[in-house]
Amino acid sequence: MNLRRPRWIWLALALGGVAAVGLAQAAWDDYLLSIVNFVGIYAILAVSLNLTNGFAGLFSLGHPGFMAIGGYVTAILTLPASRKAMFLALPGWLAGIELPFLPALLAGGAAATLTAFLLGLSVLRLSGHYLAVATMGFLIIVQVLIENWESVTRGPLGLNGLAALTDLWWVYGGLLAAVYVSWKVKFSSFGRSMLAMREDSLAAQCLGVNLFRTRVAALAIGAFFAGVAGGLWAHLVTAITPGTFSLIMAFNIVVMVVVGGTGSITGAVVAAVVFSAATEIFRPLEESFEAYGIAEILMALVLLVILIYRPSGLFGSREPAFLTAGPTHEPGNHPATAKGGQR
Amino acid sequence: MTADYIAQQIVNGLILGSMYALVAIGFSMIYGIVRLINFAHGDIVMIGAFVTLGLLQSLGAPLPVVAVGVLLSGAGMGIAVERAAFRPMRGAPQVTGFIASLAVSIMLQNLGILTLTAQPRNFAFPDYLQALIHVGAVGFRVIDVVIMLSAVLLMGLLLLLVHRTRLGMAMRATAENLDVARLMGIPINRTIRAAFAVGSGLAAIAGLMWGGKFGQIDPLLGYVPGLKSFVAAVIGGVGSIPGAILGGYVLGLAEVLFVGLLPPIYSAFRDAFVFAALILILLALPNGILGKAAEDRA
Amino acid sequence: MKRTQLGVLALAVFFLGTGTPWAADATIRLGALYNLTGGMSSIDAPALNGAKLQAKLINEKGGVLGKKLEVIGIDTKTDQKAAATGAQKALSEGVIAGLGYGDTTYVMAAAPLFQKKGLPFVTSGATHPELPKWVGDYMFMVPFGDDDQSFAIADFTVKKLNARNVAVWTDNSMDFTKALSKFYMARIKELGGTVVLEDFFKMGDKDFSAQIARLKAASPKADVVFVSAIPNEAGLSVKQIREAGLTLPIVSGDGFDTELVTTVPGPKLANAVYFSTHTYREDNRPEVVAFVKAYEKEYKKPPENAFAALGFDAVGLIADGLKRAGKVDGKALRDALAATKGYKAVTGEITYSRPSMVPAKGVSIISVMNGKYKVEEVWMPKP
Repeated sequence: MNLRRPRWIWLALALGGVAAVGLAQAAWDDYLLSIVNFVGIYAILAVSLNLTNGFAGLFSLGHPGFMAIGGYVTAILTLPASRKAMFLALPGWLAGIELPFLPALLAGGAAATLTAFLLGLSVLRLSGHYLAVATMGFLIIVQVLIENWESVTRGPLGLNGLAALTDLWWVYGGLLAAVYVSWKVKFSSFGRSMLAMREDSLAAQCLGVNLFRTRVAALAIGAFFAGVAGGLWAHLVTAITPGTFSLIMAFNIVVMVVVGGTGSITGAVVAAVVFSAATEIFRPLEESFEAYGIAEILMALVLLVILIYRPSGLFGSREPAFLTAGPTHEPGNHPATAKGGQR
Repeated sequence: MTADYIAQQIVNGLILGSMYALVAIGFSMIYGIVRLINFAHGDIVMIGAFVTLGLLQSLGAPLPVVAVGVLLSGAGMGIAVERAAFRPMRGAPQVTGFIASLAVSIMLQNLGILTLTAQPRNFAFPDYLQALIHVGAVGFRVIDVVIMLSAVLLMGLLLLLVHRTRLGMAMRATAENLDVARLMGIPINRTIRAAFAVGSGLAAIAGLMWGGKFGQIDPLLGYVPGLKSFVAAVIGGVGSIPGAILGGYVLGLAEVLFVGLLPPIYSAFRDAFVFAALILILLALPNGILGKAAEDRA
Repeated sequence: MKRTQLGVLALAVFFLGTGTPWAADATIRLGALYNLTGGMSSIDAPALNGAKLQAKLINEKGGVLGKKLEVIGIDTKTDQKAAATGAQKALSEGVIAGLGYGDTTYVMAAAPLFQKKGLPFVTSGATHPELPKWVGDYMFMVPFGDDDQSFAIADFTVKKLNARNVAVWTDNSMDFTKALSKFYMARIKELGGTVVLEDFFKMGDKDFSAQIARLKAASPKADVVFVSAIPNEAGLSVKQIREAGLTLPIVSGDGFDTELVTTVPGPKLANAVYFSTHTYREDNRPEVVAFVKAYEKEYKKPPENAFAALGFDAVGLIADGLKRAGKVDGKALRDALAATKGYKAVTGEITYSRPSMVPAKGVSIISVMNGKYKVEEVWMPKP
C-alpha cells in the first residue's frame, strides 16, 4: 500500500474541491446549484453502488431501498416535533426527538446499514440474476411498507416541508467520505479479496476468502452511503415520497457504475456527473422543438455508443494513473482477467 | 370463502400466468443463447400491441392475418435490435448487454411517446371474443380461453423447435458454448438472429393478446411485461424455457391468490407478499425452480 | 474520442443551454411545469396544450398589460427530482408565476420553491384540499378540492342512486385516490350508509379479477362500488367489472373523467357509471364551447380530458390576476389572485372565498349510459 507519493495530489484535489464549492455557493444561481447538488448526490450513489456491484460483483438492484430508509429516517429525525405531530403518529420516545443534520444523516446511514446486514444474511447466498431479482424484491417490499405504514411515513403523500438543509458543502463532504472509504477499501487486502471474489469466486474461496462475509460487508458499506445520500436527497427536494426511490432509479445508478467501469471509483464519479448533467444540457433542445422525450432518446443513444466503443466502461476497473502512481498493483488490471464474466 | 370462489381465483391466476409465461419464454430463449437480459423485450410487446391496433383499424383485416402480421413485425423488430445494439456488444461483460438493452428500451418508449403521444388508446377486439362463459360457478371469457390455448400451443411449438429441429439443435449448442459451436461450423450469427426473431415474435403476439385482454394500450405498457417476464424467467431458472413457463404461472397465481385469498386489507401489500414468496423460493432453490447451477466463469 | 474536446464542447453547450434570462420587459413569462414524459404524461401533456392555447389566444387579443404572454413548458419526467430542478430553472428564467401538475406529489416538490421566492404557483390539476395550507399563501388551486368532489358523488350515491351498502376500491399507491376514498367513506357514513367491503389495488395494475371475485362474494351485497382510480385504471376496472357480469353502478371522482371510461369497455359495457368531475364535459356554457372549438382548431383533435381545460384556465386565471394587479410583480399578483371573485373559467367559476383557499366550484356529476355522457346534476359546495 503505497500512497505516499501521490499524497500531495490528494490534498490538492481536496482543497481544489473546497475552493470550487465555495466559489459556486457564492456565485451561482439556485438553478445551477440545485443541478450540481443532484450531480453530487448521484456521484455519492454511484460510488457506493460501485462498492457493492463493482468491487464485489453483486448484481444489486436494491440500492434505492437503502436510500429510502436513510432518507425517511433522516427526515423523521430532523422534523420539528410540532410537524411530526401534525403528520405522523409516532411512539412517544420518537415523537419528541429533533436532531441536527449530521446526527440525523448518520442515523439514516446506520439504519440502512442495519437493514443491509439483515438483507445480506438472507439473500447473499444467491448470485447473478437471482440476486438481482431478490434485491428487486427487497426494494419493492420497502416501497410497499413505506406506502402503507402511514403512522410512521404518512403513506403515499410522503413528508414535505422538510428543512432545506442540504447544500453543496454537505454534498461535497458526503462525496469525499464516500470516495475516501471506497479508495481505502479498494486498495486494502479486504478490497483485493472482494475483487478476487468478483473475478473468480472459486479461486478466491480456495485462497481462503470468506465469500459470504465479504459480500455482506460490501453490501453494508454501500448501503451506508446510500442511506446518507437518501437523507441528503430528502433535504434537497424538501420532500420525500415512496415513489422517489424506484426501480428506475436503481437502473440509473447501475448505468452510471457500468458506464464508468465496474470497479472504478473515478469512473463512477465521472459517469454520474456526465449522466446527471447531460439531461439538463439536452433540456433546451426539448423545449425549443417542443419534442419532449428527445433528451431521453439522445441520452440512450450516447449510452449505447459509449458501450459499443468501450464495453468495459470508460475506465474499466482502474483508476487514472496519476492518482495511483507507485508500486501498487491495480486490481482487475491483469490482461488475463480484463474482461470478466464474458463468454 | 367457498370452493367456487377459490376455483375462480385459481382460474384467474392461470389466465394471468399464461400471459406472463408467453412473454417469459421469449425472454428466456434469448437469454439462453446469448446470456443477455433483454430489457427491451417488454417494449416489443408494446410494439406488437400497437401493430395489432394499426392493422385492425386501418386494414380491418381478420384476426389470423393480423396475428401473422404481428408475428412478422415482432421478429423483424427483434432482428433489427439485435443487429444494431447487441451484436456489437457480444463478448462484453453481461451487465453491459443488460444496460444496452435498457438503453434500447428507453429509446423505444420515448419514440412511442413522441410519435403516438402518451395517451392510452382503447383496443377493440371483435365481440365474439369478449363473450362470457360459465363452467359451474367459475366465469371467464372466450378471449381468456384463446389466450391460454395459444400460449400452450406456442410454448409447445417452441419446445418442438428447440428440441426437434436442426435450428433448435444449433440454438442449444450455441447456448451451451458459443465458441465451440462456432468451431463446429454452426453459423452463429444466423442462429442468434433466429433466436431473437422467434423470441421477439412471441413477445409481439403476447402484445396482441395483452391488448385484447385488457382493452387499453399506451407506449409505456412494455415496462410491466418486461419486468414480469424477467422475474418469471429467473424464478423458473433463467435460460430454461420450461422454467420460464413455470415461472410465469407461479407469478400469475401468486399475484392473484395473494389478493384473492387474504383479507382485503392486505391487498395493498400484494407486491410485497409476491416478492417475499419469490425470495423464499430462491432461497430454497438458488438457481430457480428448474435452473441448473451456473458454472463458475473465469 | 478526444475527451478534453468533448468536455469543452459539453461545457459550452451547457452554458449556452441554460441561457441568460433576457430582460423580462418585452414579455411576461410563466413557467409551466408538467410531466410530459413518464407515467403522468397522459394527464399533464393535454394541460400544457391547454395552457399554451390560452396564452396564444390572449396574445392574439393584445396580450396582458401591453405585453405578450410566454408560457415556458418544462418537462419534469414524472420525477420529483426533475420537478425540483425544473422549478429552479423556471425561477432562474425570470418567470412571474408558475403553473402546473395534475398531482400533489409534484406540486409539493415545486411549489415551495416559488413560495420562498415570493412568486405565485397555480396548480391546474392537483386537488388536495390542504395544498394551500401546506405550501403557503402563494399557492393557488384552479380545481376544486377532493373533499368537495367526494362529498358530491357520495351525496349522489345515497340520494339519487338510493344505495345503502357500498363497496370501496382504493388505489393505495396515490395520495389523490386515498384522499378521495377517505372523504367518500366519511360522507357515506354521515348519510347513514354502510361500507360493506374495502378493497385495494395499485396504480399500474391491469388485472382486477381477484377484487371482482371478492366483490361478487361480498355479503351483504354492495349496491354500488366506488372505484377510486386515475384514468389509466378507470377504463380497465369498468370493463372487467362489467365483463364479469356485475351490473351494479360504478362511481368515482374526476379520475374517471376520460374517454377511456367509454372506449375501453365499449358502448355495450360502459353502463351505469357515475363520476364527479370539473364542470366542463357536455357543458354548453359559452366558455366551454369556445374552448373546445379553439382546441380542435389548434391541435386538430378534441381536448383529451378535463386537464386540458384546467391548464387553459390556469393561464387564464394568472392573466386575469395580472390585469387586476396592474403591474408585473409577485406580491401584487398574489394579492390579486387571492381576491379573485367569479372568474369565468372553462371548468367553472373560481372564487377564493374560503379560508382554506380552495375554490368553491361546482362539481358536475356525469353519468355514462351505453357509452354516452350526460350531466346528471351540478353539486354546489357551501361557499
